[in-house]
Amino acid sequence: MCRPAINSIHDSGKGRQKMRTVIVYKWARNAEDAAVRSDGSVDWRNAKMTAGEDDFAALDAAKAIAEGSELIGLTIGDGDASWALARGVLQATSVFDAPNLTDNASTAAIIAAAVQQIGSVDAVVIGDSEEYSGVPVALAGLLGWPAIAHVSSASTANGRVQIVRKQGKNEQTISIAAPVVVAVSAASAEKAAPGMKEQLAARKRPITKLTLDTIGVNRADKVACKGTRLPEVTAARIFDGDPALAAEQLVAALRDQGVL
Amino acid sequence: MSDALIIVTEEKQVTALVAAARGLGGKVTAAVIGTRTLANVTAAAGPDEVKWIEANQEIPVEAYAGFVAQLVATAAPTAVVTSGTAEGRVFAGAAAAQLGAAVIPGGLRLSVNGDKIVVDRADLGGKVIETIETAGPVVTFYAGDDVDAAGSATAPVEQLAANGTADMKIEKTQPIAGAGAGITKASVVVSVGRGLKKKDDLAIVQSLANALGAEIGCSMPVADDLGWVEKERYVGRSGQHISPRLYIAIGIQGAPQHMEGVRDAKVVVGINNNPEASIFKSADYGIVGDLYEVVPALQAALGK
Repeated sequence: MCRPAINSIHDSGKGRQKMRTVIVYKWARNAEDAAVRSDGSVDWRNAKMTAGEDDFAALDAAKAIAEGSELIGLTIGDGDASWALARGVLQATSVFDAPNLTDNASTAAIIAAAVQQIGSVDAVVIGDSEEYSGVPVALAGLLGWPAIAHVSSASTANGRVQIVRKQGKNEQTISIAAPVVVAVSAASAEKAAPGMKEQLAARKRPITKLTLDTIGVNRADKVACKGTRLPEVTAARIFDGDPALAAEQLVAALRDQGVL
Repeated sequence: MSDALIIVTEEKQVTALVAAARGLGGKVTAAVIGTRTLANVTAAAGPDEVKWIEANQEIPVEAYAGFVAQLVATAAPTAVVTSGTAEGRVFAGAAAAQLGAAVIPGGLRLSVNGDKIVVDRADLGGKVIETIETAGPVVTFYAGDDVDAAGSATAPVEQLAANGTADMKIEKTQPIAGAGAGITKASVVVSVGRGLKKKDDLAIVQSLANALGAEIGCSMPVADDLGWVEKERYVGRSGQHISPRLYIAIGIQGAPQHMEGVRDAKVVVGINNNPEASIFKSADYGIVGDLYEVVPALQAALGK
């Protein structure tokens, strides 16, 4: 895919470049809702597109990058598009017929096509989901943009996107020229969910609905799932019963192994 | 037989990446972005050839992703294997776009079935192993255990000059407060989760830690929601990644997010009153019981 033309607006009054930013949210099924049966098969029937555990941190980072510039929400599939609208985003785009796909690159292709449809985007911010960890990076690859993953926070400085990430025992601050994909990992859970007033306001905000046909993306998955099975678990050596006896057995085992 | 390519940005799990790539039975090329030492370590890990790009330490290694993706496109391997680190994944994403490849996280094993590539991968946080088949190229992030070096001959290393990098710059690197000492260097860590009923009860856990000469750790909710333990001591994917000799998880369920932080611990012990707690699927040893009985009993047993 070609890199879309960048049409950033330079705000000379503030000495910074405005960043037209897209926040991608509710783009994956919640893996917590998948039920694993005793034969290792997986029941996804109750799993919906929900806000991922990193989505709210990604939204915070997107707001900081946009810093008063245009911030557009983008969601795919059957999730509720008002999630970001109830959290301060003024407009959203939804590719509502996007299917759940196993191939992370195919999911990324849907998001990339929607970003190109939105047009003139400087930064795409997305949660760095552990379960679907290929989507943010494949998205960057398809857009032809640089990317940084596992980001803690973001902002702008001197017309560039600035991110902070943990790397081992250090914290690293990196500046990147737009356009860029920023994949954010949350360090904590969302502190304050929106109230009824924000949720009602969200319903009045515009949602542009797109289809896969509109954005020219094939719905086919590139891969076929041939089945799932339970892993061969080396079960823990369990001590139970009388706590004092169990504790003595554990201490003896740890001493035998040389870790005490 | 199909050729595979691994992308290496750190020494960790290099041998395992090569072993996974060998599953396709064809030539294995390693693209190394980093120091000469990293290139040499990779060459000794068993690939057939190494393409080395010396990385400028003043820019993030991800700045080379576009250049490396072009190399991958030229080599046109059937599969690309990277680590699941933030850096490794960025290279994988760029390479996948150039190859038109599928991207499958959590790869454990690669193989060939007729004209199809088969990937066994860990899914749902390791609760299941999923077998995936594809006719086209595939990119995966390795999620299996490390393996011992095969002891094969050292591969030739060819240095390549990077032709263009993304406009990225490391502005600042500073130590994370509290990360330089304590829990990250401790050989024994006693960690506590939501099984603890109130903050005052931390005293019994601290007492056990003192008896063991251990540092205190915790799960995310204990540091974040409850604020009972300093955030610098939270262990998990977005918290501390530690490698103690002994890790004792008390009242911790053992969610994948938490266990990622102790992946490199030598021995893990779980103490939980729920026999179905997932900690017992990851731990080496476990005690099923009430932590308020087990922890004092454990301390008493240590004194014997």
